[in-house]
Amino acid sequence: MSVFDGLRFRMVSSPIHRLDPRAKFFFVCVMFVIAVLFNQLLPLIVLFLIQMPLVFVAGVQREWIRSLRGALFLAVMIFVINFVFAYLSPGGIQGIEPPVDTLPEYLMLFENSFALTLRFVVLIESFSVFFLTTSPDHLGLALEQSHVPYEFCFAFTTAVRFVPVLAEEAQTIMDAQKARGLELERGNFIKRIRNYIPILIPLIVNAIRRSLELAETMESRAWGATEKRTNLYVLRLKKPDYVLVMMSILMLVLAVYVRLFLPVPPLVVILQI
Amino acid sequence: MAVIETKGLTYTYPSGKKRTLEDVSITIEKGEFVVLTGPSGCGKTTLCRCFNGLVPHFYGGKLEGDISVTGLRVSEHSIHELARHVGLVFQNPENQLFALFVEKDVAFGLENLGVPRDEIRKRVDWALQTTGIENLRERAPHELSGGQQQRVAIACVLAMQPDVMVLDEPTSFLDPSGAQKIFEVISELNKEMGITVVLVEHRLDLASRYSNHVLVMNEGRVVLDGEPREVFNSETARLIGVGVPKATRLSQVLEESGVDLGRVPVTSGEASHILKEVLRRD
Repeated sequence: MSVFDGLRFRMVSSPIHRLDPRAKFFFVCVMFVIAVLFNQLLPLIVLFLIQMPLVFVAGVQREWIRSLRGALFLAVMIFVINFVFAYLSPGGIQGIEPPVDTLPEYLMLFENSFALTLRFVVLIESFSVFFLTTSPDHLGLALEQSHVPYEFCFAFTTAVRFVPVLAEEAQTIMDAQKARGLELERGNFIKRIRNYIPILIPLIVNAIRRSLELAETMESRAWGATEKRTNLYVLRLKKPDYVLVMMSILMLVLAVYVRLFLPVPPLVVILQI
Repeated sequence: MAVIETKGLTYTYPSGKKRTLEDVSITIEKGEFVVLTGPSGCGKTTLCRCFNGLVPHFYGGKLEGDISVTGLRVSEHSIHELARHVGLVFQNPENQLFALFVEKDVAFGLENLGVPRDEIRKRVDWALQTTGIENLRERAPHELSGGQQQRVAIACVLAMQPDVMVLDEPTSFLDPSGAQKIFEVISELNKEMGITVVLVEHRLDLASRYSNHVLVMNEGRVVLDGEPREVFNSETARLIGVGVPKATRLSQVLEESGVDLGRVPVTSGEASHILKEVLRRD
């Protein structure tokens, strides 16, 4: 069952989980836009920090750290590539007169690369806050009420529902094939991939058979009977949702203002290193 | 009044060369509890698919003869029209639940029909209560046992308030106690609400106690059609390989060895009753 563990949503109840997915998604988009607006370190640090309370209120620190750790490799790559290329052609970076040779200039280069890396981390952070605190059925419901065609929403929630079923099935097939002498962990890289073919084929065949049965059931429950289907559940924006949306708009306005009219000095200059 | 009536029903799947159903003519009355049985591959499932129009609308193929369900001719009405009147419950409970939690699944059919929200809420609550699974409302399908899943599947169909409920081997993935529970739920729906039940089943020992009409199929034809007692006691049933209830089989064996019980039992309860009488008489 371990294969798909990460995809399984852990249901917790917190003020953040109870927020409307649409409000949260708006917040995430605003974070995204602000992060793209700035390439200085200071505002990006602020962006990183203002999302921290959300993580702690939702109580998803452990999962959140895990998702950041997952992004570590890419983050390091971004840092290294930016540093190297900025070193080779440092034109356009504030406070650097090429060639880079003094300590303040190196620090500047470092700050610049670090800021671009942090921008990436902020994006990961906000998306992981969203996905860690939004249950798939809430998300499906939000999609439905955002006028996404019902077929897509249905496909999405059904896919999520069958993840544990397929994981269990994959395990059963693996056990069955191993019992017949299939050795999964043998041979070189290519051989190991090929070892999985006897597992994939029954898995896919079963999935197709399963989908036929599902289709039968859906038909039997009047799928497509009316143009306008009703829904037992409605998402309504509540006070906290409005607060979040207002705060997001405020932040966006503020960020645009700062970007246009206030020069943001590099951290190196502020700290007078 | 006949709820389901077929006349000379013959059907071939698009990929098949052989006829899956051959000249099936049956009548099922309102409020009956019908047990449909027969060896695997004899066409039971196909016949069930005819009842709500999956055959021929979903599967295609060639359907001849006549079939009408609750007065609607199947060939002229779409599956979703028939779905209001006929509920189908399938063999594998896992593949009948596709929502992320139970309540949403039960509401699915009603949502498709465009029933107003308040009415959905009422009917979902009622269906969960009737099948005794109110406590599972918020659970995800993969957290439930097979028996619980199958009860959810029944609730899903029940919420649509059908006149007929067709169950295609609903207990074959379940253990005996889970199966027993399912039969009790179905029998209650039949007795209390007058829903006509068609149950495809191999475990006749458990199922036959509730039934008052038995159909036996073999190679696409209905070979026996009548009261449980006479059907199970017939030579044909045993020769086809129907799992005749043990009580009935016992009386047959006793008769062969010269003991006449006078009546033919179907359930083990009846058998013990009759045997007691016979023993007292001697």
